[in-house]
Amino acid sequence: MHYSEKDLLKMYKQMYEIRQCDERLAKLKLKDLVMNGFHPYVGEEAVAVGACYALLKDDYMVSTHRPQGHAIAKGASVRSILCEMLGRMGGPSNGLGGPMQWVDAENRFFCGSIVGSGICLANGFGLSVMQAGKKNVCVCIFGDGASNTGSFHEGMNLASIWKLPVVFICENNQYGEAMPVREFVSVDRISKRAASYGYAGLTVDGMDVKAVAEVTKSAIERARNGEGPGFIEAVTYRYKGHYMGDPDNYRTREEIAEWRKKDPIDRCRKELIEEAGMIESEIKSIEEQIIKKSDEDQTWALEQPKPSLEYAVSNVLIPLAGRYA
Amino acid sequence: MSERIITYVEAIREALDQELQRDQTVYLIGEDIGTWGNLYGCSKGLLEKYGKDRVKDAPISEAAIAGCAVASAASGLRPVLEIMYIDFISIAMDQIVNHGARWHQLSNGKINVPMVVRTQGGVGLRNSSQHSQSLENWFVNVAGLMVVMPSTPYDAKGLLKSAIRNDNPVIFIEHKALYKQKGAVPVDDYIIPLGQADIKRKGKDLTIVANSWMVTHALAAAEELNKEGISCEVVDPRTLYPLDEDRICDSVKKTGLCLVVNEAPAAGGWSGEASSVITENCFSDLKKPVKRITGMRTGVPYDKDLERQVVPGVKEVVSGARELLK
Repeated sequence: MHYSEKDLLKMYKQMYEIRQCDERLAKLKLKDLVMNGFHPYVGEEAVAVGACYALLKDDYMVSTHRPQGHAIAKGASVRSILCEMLGRMGGPSNGLGGPMQWVDAENRFFCGSIVGSGICLANGFGLSVMQAGKKNVCVCIFGDGASNTGSFHEGMNLASIWKLPVVFICENNQYGEAMPVREFVSVDRISKRAASYGYAGLTVDGMDVKAVAEVTKSAIERARNGEGPGFIEAVTYRYKGHYMGDPDNYRTREEIAEWRKKDPIDRCRKELIEEAGMIESEIKSIEEQIIKKSDEDQTWALEQPKPSLEYAVSNVLIPLAGRYA
Repeated sequence: MSERIITYVEAIREALDQELQRDQTVYLIGEDIGTWGNLYGCSKGLLEKYGKDRVKDAPISEAAIAGCAVASAASGLRPVLEIMYIDFISIAMDQIVNHGARWHQLSNGKINVPMVVRTQGGVGLRNSSQHSQSLENWFVNVAGLMVVMPSTPYDAKGLLKSAIRNDNPVIFIEHKALYKQKGAVPVDDYIIPLGQADIKRKGKDLTIVANSWMVTHALAAAEELNKEGISCEVVDPRTLYPLDEDRICDSVKKTGLCLVVNEAPAAGGWSGEASSVITENCFSDLKKPVKRITGMRTGVPYDKDLERQVVPGVKEVVSGARELLK
């Protein structure tokens, strides 16, 4: 598939922005301003950005406990994500959710910290748009670990038998916490599991944003056209720990270094120069703008207030008319 | 409004039928709710009437059913999902508790989850220990959920309609031993507001707070005690959360004695919550401590007689009342 310079640059900027955000979060974590619920996304940016390439604002997305990249790619502002991670007003859940779980009503984005649950939830969004006769879809991202849950089996089957407009993307970053896919998943390619539920099932290089965008776009188009759900395994790698400061005793330094050579941002930058004909200084200047904006976003986020106790315990239930226990 | 005598099952079916008719966004989802029309007939005939998009038979996948219901409720539909036996809800718990009950708050009140989880619990049909539990207490303790347990056909219809129209996730627990019970139910539309207790029998000597099937036993016990000149007031909270504290406490302040009857085991349960509310609000009016009659802390046995012996019956309610009146 051919990408215009504009499209490729847009994806590059998003990936760069996501990484800048993550690196700031890592530093804020070291200052104890962001807690252990923060799961670094560095290395996996091509999956989030590629997955959202063909997604519309009013499409749905269900994400994981490592949602920040997906959220930004889906349309959330960096400052709102920084606020949520910091536990401040101004985040999608006004800081009540924190790094792993929030609901962004405007961007139709839902994430949660129970591994696998999203696979079942995604079907409900698919059902709603189908019943309403709309052309929207739901993209559901989950990790390799989630493919071992009962929710995966139940949810994949239901989407298939009801031909729901849902695209499942398994973000295979090689480790479910400290457990390697090679030891803890029964197949060498997670996409093989899709066949059990009647999906074609594709594996794509998750370090290549163009490849992820291409396969996702065609799966989204099929889902929009009523041709049923799709399944994509994006093979990627998380450079940092499951969480910041995990013992990281389950892999070698060499392995990490090898994957870093495949960096999705470096790769896309090279393509911008070699294929789209951009010059180094143009890209540099765009990067500087993103860095400056990220700094401003961080300053702004740190100035936002924490939610009050009164606010934190509101919206639990919609009160019954008249009186309410 | 014309009334006729129908069963608890028929009352539920009528509520579902009328709500499916009234609101195009209402749909049913669950195992064997369509072709079979539910094991007891609660949705019989509705698949034929409303079609497969509105009455959705789902595979035996409680997590998938609940997840689908939660997210569809958050995006414009009003699902009534059925969990065939409350015991199976353990599989759906994550979706209901971690997601359905959380999203309204996490969305800053922008997203509602208008979902009803219809299920049934309790003993009565010799279904043994994995099909007969009383698990309502699990849900009473979860912020973000409402819990409703109707005890009569009239309440079942009116409360189910309210639950479907309510914008919160509501756990609606029927009782298998009540399904054949008959009562007067209006043909037309009516609702019973959630959160309102009902005085099932007026009295002055003793208050019996009972819910679901236990209301039947409480009323039978009150009748028996009445022959001895003892006047019992039977209060059915109908909604376990939010609890109608006012109506319950008004009754206890009047009688000064209170018996709480619940089929579930006592420890960590709603019976203790009700007792505490009463004690906190009516301490100076109470002549004796609140007494509880509850199910035993055990798995439900298969035997016909034994399954009834591990939960409160009329005899236990009568003797509990007598003890308080001593």
